[in-house]
Amino acid sequence: MRGASAAQTVSLVKALGFTDVVSIPDGESRHLYQALLDEPTIQLYLPTREGEGIALAAGLWAGGRKPFVLLQNTGLMEAGDALRGCGVGPSIPLLLLVGWRGYPGALAGALPIDSAYPYTEPLLEAWGLPYRRLMGDDDLGVIEEMAALAAESSKPAAVLYGYGFRP
Amino acid sequence: MSMERLDLFRALAARRTDEIVVTTMTATLQWPLVSSHPLDFDFLAFGMGHAADFGLGLALARPERKVIVLKGDGGLLMSLGSLVTMGRYGPPNLLVLLLENRSYEMTGGQVFAPAVEFVTIARGAGVDNVERIEDLSGFEAELARLLTEPGPHFVVLPVTNTEPLPSVSHTDHPTRVTNLRRALGVDSDAEEA
Repeated sequence: MRGASAAQTVSLVKALGFTDVVSIPDGESRHLYQALLDEPTIQLYLPTREGEGIALAAGLWAGGRKPFVLLQNTGLMEAGDALRGCGVGPSIPLLLLVGWRGYPGALAGALPIDSAYPYTEPLLEAWGLPYRRLMGDDDLGVIEEMAALAAESSKPAAVLYGYGFRP
Repeated sequence: MSMERLDLFRALAARRTDEIVVTTMTATLQWPLVSSHPLDFDFLAFGMGHAADFGLGLALARPERKVIVLKGDGGLLMSLGSLVTMGRYGPPNLLVLLLENRSYEMTGGQVFAPAVEFVTIARGAGVDNVERIEDLSGFEAELARLLTEPGPHFVVLPVTNTEPLPSVSHTDHPTRVTNLRRALGVDSDAEEA
């Protein structure tokens, strides 16, 4: 089944000890956003732009919390300076859940191809950010894998979700 | 009216005890002239315009401790939306001191739009406690209140600078974060993501 379960995802990030999520949601993450909003043990913050959100998450982490960031690939592109300065540069192990806008359409051969699609993976690679793809419930283990890798490497790591989260 | 920035910093340093102080841009050059404290955090080159966003995260994570952000008005223009986020989530322990010189001093003093009214913008963004203090005597008179009264507070301070600026000389970024977490008693092994 395409798209991971929002409920299972929330259970997983809760079990992994995440305390906060900073998110500008996209259409594909709306069910996950709502499920996170409904989870009392995880505090959700909605900033106005993604760069601001990454700096906010970095401050939370520096203060001893364990946040992750939920954003769309277009927001990741906007947040480049903050990701450099508040993630990669100072070795802050932020987990990023990144919506891959354009992936379903490109896979289906729809034209025109959303320009957000082809730049996403090269962008992550250019920043040296390790990432795994999340396409459905069978892939949910990549969240734990990338969270562990971020902690071990003291660098951000990403999970790239190609389909919208199901409730 | 305005106040000399270094005098403002001296007044703040004289009253500061265990607050976290986040600085950015030219404040990172002059704050060390008056303060050497484990809870000083130099945000220079961590992300243009995002010092207060980082400070907001710190304040939310450490509600028992005041977080003071010293940032410039040019930096605020790079992330005006952050005022909306501060208005929504800003906790009582956050104090943002906006150093208003109406220019990008760090890059040579280029002047930006002269009509910008930061008090009005902050109030319109939903920040509860917004004020403007015009001179050093006013700042000294209000400082004790600002350090103890529940906020969040956003204070606009018109500043000048006639002192030569020290050159940029900073520790590397991971060390700055490690030192701050150590000063806060955060167990980095246990808390990493």
